[in-house]
Amino acid sequence: MTSPARGLSAENIRSLLADTSPYLSCDDCFARLDEYVERTLADPRHQDAAMQAHLAGCGACAEEAETLRELLSHPST
Amino acid sequence: MTTVNPTTPDVVPPLGDDAWLAALTDGGGAGHQALARLREVLLRATRHQVWRLRDLLPGAGAGELEDLAQQAADDALVAVLRRLGTFEGRSRFTTWAYKFGVLHAGVAVRRQAWRHREVPLPDTLTLVDTGPTPAAISEATQLARAVEAAIATELTPHQRRVVLALLVEQVPIDVLADRLGSTRNALYKTLHDARCRLRTALTDSGHLQIRTDRSTP
Repeated sequence: MTSPARGLSAENIRSLLADTSPYLSCDDCFARLDEYVERTLADPRHQDAAMQAHLAGCGACAEEAETLRELLSHPST
Repeated sequence: MTTVNPTTPDVVPPLGDDAWLAALTDGGGAGHQALARLREVLLRATRHQVWRLRDLLPGAGAGELEDLAQQAADDALVAVLRRLGTFEGRSRFTTWAYKFGVLHAGVAVRRQAWRHREVPLPDTLTLVDTGPTPAAISEATQLARAVEAAIATELTPHQRRVVLALLVEQVPIDVLADRLGSTRNALYKTLHDARCRLRTALTDSGHLQIRTDRSTP
């Protein structure tokens, strides 16, 4: 398929130019996600540059991180 | 839609991580009980994720959403048991298990949402003639034009298709991976490399300033 995409919105440009370094793969993000979310809930100042860069650049992983954060914020187990 | 309401309370008291691992590796009744309990933990995660993403499935009723959550919990249970030996205790066991439920439910909802949709794979952008504009808009337009030019000249055809599908057409990354016979990992690496090329080109042309408080490509 070679039909053109839509023109760029400001949000498109922000996402296209996102700085996603240092690189972290989706698999590595998944491997660290549970620990990262627990740590950031315990200390909102917790820093993990690779995780933060990945979550800023990968919508699916960011969405999963937010869901996990919600689950842990309202524990019932 | 109370069937998938994520606030459904659990009725079992919490287990410690060691107790979880011991019970799940028990071949007897304790093992069966632990499996059932783990599935309840996973179902809480999958229901929550399906509930969060329910707007992606506007025609789905409570029953269909519950079916998705139940199927995702089954898939997540298999995944957790297969990876049980990799649990290192860097988080609580239930947190570690939750992420499998969240992953499988998210993938299931996005696949369902795109099941009958064509996945657009454009290799060019539509250039919009904005005409005379105020200065601020003109500056934004110049940046957009520079980005469009960099997409056309700096990216490989594969990078261009992946970038436009993911970031402009908003195709979910796991849906695109399915359609291209690729993986989420591979597509994200393509996206990362493409972003590096775009940032370098835009920096070289003076449209993007390098920040010194972050690493740069």
